[in-house]
Amino acid sequence: MAAIATATLVSPPRRLQTVAAALAMVIVIALASALYMEENGHWVTGMTNYVVWGLPHVFAIFLIVAASGALNVASIASVFGRTTYKPLAPLSGLLAIALLAGGLSVLVLDLGRPDRLLVAMLNQNLSSIFAWNIFLYSGFFAVVGVYLWTMLAKRYSRFTTAAGTAAFVWRLVLTTGTGSIFGFLVARDAFHSAIMAPLFIAMSLAYGLAVFLLVLVALSKLGGPDVPAELIGRLGKLLGILVAAQLYFVAVFHLTNLYAAKGIALERYLLLEGGIYPWLFWVGQVILGGVLPLVLCLGRRTTSASLLLAAALVVLGGLAQVYFIVIGGQSYPMSVLPDWVLHSSFGDGEISRYVPTLPEGLLGLGGMALALVLVLVGCSVLRILPTSLEHHK
Amino acid sequence: MTRYVMVADLRRCVGCQTCTAACRHANATPPGVQWRRVLDLEIGEYPEVQRVFVPTGCQHCSDPPCVAACPSTATRQRADGIVTIDYDICIGCLYCALACPYEARSKVDEPVYAYGDDPTASETARFDPRTIGVAQKCTFCVDVIDAGVAAGLTPGKDRAATPACANACISGALTFGDIDDPNSAVSRLLRENKHFRMHEDAGTKPGFYYLWDKEALPL
Repeated sequence: MAAIATATLVSPPRRLQTVAAALAMVIVIALASALYMEENGHWVTGMTNYVVWGLPHVFAIFLIVAASGALNVASIASVFGRTTYKPLAPLSGLLAIALLAGGLSVLVLDLGRPDRLLVAMLNQNLSSIFAWNIFLYSGFFAVVGVYLWTMLAKRYSRFTTAAGTAAFVWRLVLTTGTGSIFGFLVARDAFHSAIMAPLFIAMSLAYGLAVFLLVLVALSKLGGPDVPAELIGRLGKLLGILVAAQLYFVAVFHLTNLYAAKGIALERYLLLEGGIYPWLFWVGQVILGGVLPLVLCLGRRTTSASLLLAAALVVLGGLAQVYFIVIGGQSYPMSVLPDWVLHSSFGDGEISRYVPTLPEGLLGLGGMALALVLVLVGCSVLRILPTSLEHHK
Repeated sequence: MTRYVMVADLRRCVGCQTCTAACRHANATPPGVQWRRVLDLEIGEYPEVQRVFVPTGCQHCSDPPCVAACPSTATRQRADGIVTIDYDICIGCLYCALACPYEARSKVDEPVYAYGDDPTASETARFDPRTIGVAQKCTFCVDVIDAGVAAGLTPGKDRAATPACANACISGALTFGDIDDPNSAVSRLLRENKHFRMHEDAGTKPGFYYLWDKEALPL
């Protein structure tokens, strides 16, 4: 393949300024929301001592999971040898770093004591999967950072394949770690499952590619290279396959629960009677985030518009899916003593109610905006984008 | 060795929640947070229904999932089995709360008092500002135990070295002590009565035993 010509993002000034200003405003509002919640405490959120992780965690986990999947295109080029995707690999790496930074920012700002982040890093409990994730996230920045560097600094390009392979392995381990944060929770029937790790990997592959597609097309509107319909078509087809893989793991998870008598009550709650959660599952996750994108991506007549719509639906369905997993799972009451009917003045044994508040949502959106700003800045100061994608035609 | 445990005799507990109130008084926990809760349970089917009150809270497990889950080593277990939280290291992520099978953990984000904006004299004396924004739970009144042991007292036998809930129980349902001491009250109660622990299937080996012999033991 011929040498790849790359350039910084040169956008019509007004258009870039407008987008950057809008994103900056979202970030400022998010910071104000975080400060408001920090000053007033979590009682101004929907979180309780039963639902301890709320909407900010949904955004944070979505972004962290998507970060891993955003590397798909880079991996296709560097690990699987499809060199036609090489011109897009730097954007793939940058987007991965940006999404992780956005997700972690939300996560840290939602801690009870965000000021103690350094304390957590200096006092790591190596038996904690949560602590492993701190290591995995830090390592992801380093490994993908080096990978990006080898792609941008031509004299180090001979290391790109090695760095890309390391990043590929690292991101699989990272998403395994994120899924295991839930999978390792023996106490929670809705979470405790070995399938959480591969499910999260499948989720990451779909979410990350969907976000990548949307960002690539958005950048082309801001002065980046035109995106040929053929490229969108190929990535869209891949997205369809990844969505199908994700649906497969979801189906196996719920069927496994349904097979054993002890899981039926949980599944009845999550899939049928649990208020908003069955809606999130069937409408948000399965129909909007699964079946419709499948039809749009793998159907006979696909257009760029329909594939981009599918990508947007995967993002929306993904948010619904993470909400369903994280909050639906917490809201299901823990069994204190099986076969004993529990009444409690403390809310024990009852379905835990959670209604997200505006500041939580604004903080989460701030994480997304931060990721996009980092992509914009990265593309503006580094030669991330190819000058042309015509070879995909 | 010493292994402190709590024994709750479900045949004696009347659900008065004096233990809850005593714990709240001793530890200045805010409204809505109970380190020592009393659950109200029904067992059996009509007309053979029994009502059972079950004091609960942190079970001070021998294999505590919260200790494994805590990313910052804030939650630890002492040699005597008591699970503690170092409030200065806890980052307030509450992963421990998700990991605990007993829903024993809480977080409070700002000082809240029982009667309005101002703390009572008792709350002023006992409130620990380090508990704000971090995980908190029953400590088995570890400070009382340590002070008592240092003074040569025996926890579970001498009131000045015994958790507030056990001291306050009006029906003698709660007994605290060292299970490794064969002559302690808790050892004797467990030798002489049928008992169970919550979620024994989870393998956490709780340090909280329930005496109950009226029906098949719940496992």
